[in-house]
Amino acid sequence: MMKKNAMIDRYRWWEVVLMYLGIAVFLFFILAPFIEGFLVSLKPLGLLFSTPYKFIPENGSFKAYVTMWESVPGFARYIFNSFFISTVITLVVLILVVPASYAFARIKFKGAGSLLGGFLAVNMFSGAVLLIPLFRLMRSYGLLNTYWSMIVPGVAFLIPTAIWLLSTYMKRIPRELDEAAYVDGAGHFYILRRVILPLAMPGIIVVAITTFIGAYAQQFIFALTFNSKTEFMPLPIGLFAYFGRQEVIWNELMAASFVGIAPAMILIFALQRYLVAGLTAGAVKQ
Amino acid sequence: MGQLALSGVKKRFEKLEVIHGIDLDIKDGEFVVFVGPSGCGKSTLLRMICGLEEITEGDCTIDGTRVNDLPPVKRGIAMVFQSYALYPHMSVFENIAFPLRVEKRPEAEIKEKVGRAAAVLQLENRLHQKPGNLSGGQRQRVAIGRAIVREPSIFLFDEPLSNLDAALRAEMRIELTALHQKLKATMIYVTHDQVEAMTMADRIVVLDGGSISQVGAPLELYHKPANLFVAGFIGNPKMNFIPGTCTEVSPAGATVELVTGSTVTVPVTAAGILKGQPVTLGIRPEHLTQGAGDVSLQITPTVVEHLGVNTVTYADLDGVGNVSALLSGSADVAPGKPATLAFSAADCHLFDAEGQALERRVDSAMPIPAAASAG
Repeated sequence: MMKKNAMIDRYRWWEVVLMYLGIAVFLFFILAPFIEGFLVSLKPLGLLFSTPYKFIPENGSFKAYVTMWESVPGFARYIFNSFFISTVITLVVLILVVPASYAFARIKFKGAGSLLGGFLAVNMFSGAVLLIPLFRLMRSYGLLNTYWSMIVPGVAFLIPTAIWLLSTYMKRIPRELDEAAYVDGAGHFYILRRVILPLAMPGIIVVAITTFIGAYAQQFIFALTFNSKTEFMPLPIGLFAYFGRQEVIWNELMAASFVGIAPAMILIFALQRYLVAGLTAGAVKQ
Repeated sequence: MGQLALSGVKKRFEKLEVIHGIDLDIKDGEFVVFVGPSGCGKSTLLRMICGLEEITEGDCTIDGTRVNDLPPVKRGIAMVFQSYALYPHMSVFENIAFPLRVEKRPEAEIKEKVGRAAAVLQLENRLHQKPGNLSGGQRQRVAIGRAIVREPSIFLFDEPLSNLDAALRAEMRIELTALHQKLKATMIYVTHDQVEAMTMADRIVVLDGGSISQVGAPLELYHKPANLFVAGFIGNPKMNFIPGTCTEVSPAGATVELVTGSTVTVPVTAAGILKGQPVTLGIRPEHLTQGAGDVSLQITPTVVEHLGVNTVTYADLDGVGNVSALLSGSADVAPGKPATLAFSAADCHLFDAEGQALERRVDSAMPIPAAASAG
């Protein structure tokens, strides 16, 4: 059953069983809420509160995936909003973070260390702690009830992690490459564009993915506080629409959650494949 | 033109002085090698000439212009780095073309110049490959190609061969020497490998602890090392040092009583004050023989290396320390078997208590013995 692997990669049959068992337990632990959510989305609403509770749906169907669009007609707009806000946040973060990381990685200046420490400190506050001052700021600048009210704080809270990630990555690019380019007459911007950026591409993609996911995850609290216009609402708020006066349409809510996550998932999987390719192709061989 | 002069050049990092006032003139078209043990400041000195490190004190002039505050391009120099510093995401063509692209030269000119450099370095068939697919020697040539397209007047090499294996290193040494003859440009080359220094240099600069220990042609350093450091650094295996006391100074030379008990008169020019002073006698391993000589040493080799063409023996001698000898390949020696080695007074070097050499009466243009270049 086993191919002739290198000695270090050979295991006894029970070791292999144990490894897969470990993986299965771990995966189940992580994925259990998703599995249950998916099963709920398949059940008819009436069967959800049956006793004894059955995990495996009887007469399961994908009907909720159709009716969800009828119960909440604006749902597509919410998905678009989520996607739009996260994309803009990611782009703005990248535009700001790439040159900043280059500066932290390559230019010696006073206070570089404490600045980086400061960014880390900002990261320790969750957005929720700063909601009230942020609300006042937004009101003063007239950003309440616009896309910007969700984009600006999103960018602010995602920049520190992005700078830490990317400057660490750039520090690993051999300095001799910069020196060689400098000796040949290149300036900082030329070095950044022709040498550092192409080599840091895998790192930039990692930053883009984490920023995008972060932006997707943190929208809820900003949207809830700074925006009251339905047409700008992102997905997490949009899901509230399935909470009726009398009852919650749980199966449609779950179906909507999965449909809402789908575009982001597809994008991330696509980027991830590129990420692996980029890591192997761009490897700096010393 | 590529004439370079350093005068009183110093380098300090914070309070620590690592280069202590270097004065050096390098002629146009010369191949100069900076050599010394690690930490002697040779790489720092090269980076200062290049413009990657600031010169704390003193002047660096190229063709009569003070270049201390000029960036590397304006100095008319190009540098080849130890790790080659090739851009892994660019093809060989783009790597070599990089300096020209920075200068925004027209495409036709770039093609022509890169083509010419590739022809000189036999890289024509590799232009579309990435550096990752090249062997060590080819990468080295790409790095040199990137240096020559700009047609600088001075080339700087920072230990360019240290990442290559021994056979390739020997090959690249010959290629570099040939390239120097073809380009006729000034080249400054940093290495810790004395074989590279001896084989390629017009002149060798031996650095020790941030100062110049001696400057001279390879054979001059071999035959007339100025001090104990150079004597011990140049030559492989290392020169043997035997402590002794000067008992007599005469026109014939200085008579030395060695700790081993023998007495020898070394033909050096010495002043009378040397009499009674402690001195160190230096004798190269290749000058020790199993035949007769002016002085003989009783040794018991602990290690014997048979190299085929030569046999190297290492022994511990009371009061002297390590003694190594480079004997013929068929020498009858074995570990633990006592042997008698002899050397003649004419081959000896003599150093005073400060480690400075006394002038030897030999012609430094003597051909180098075959043994000295083995290594």
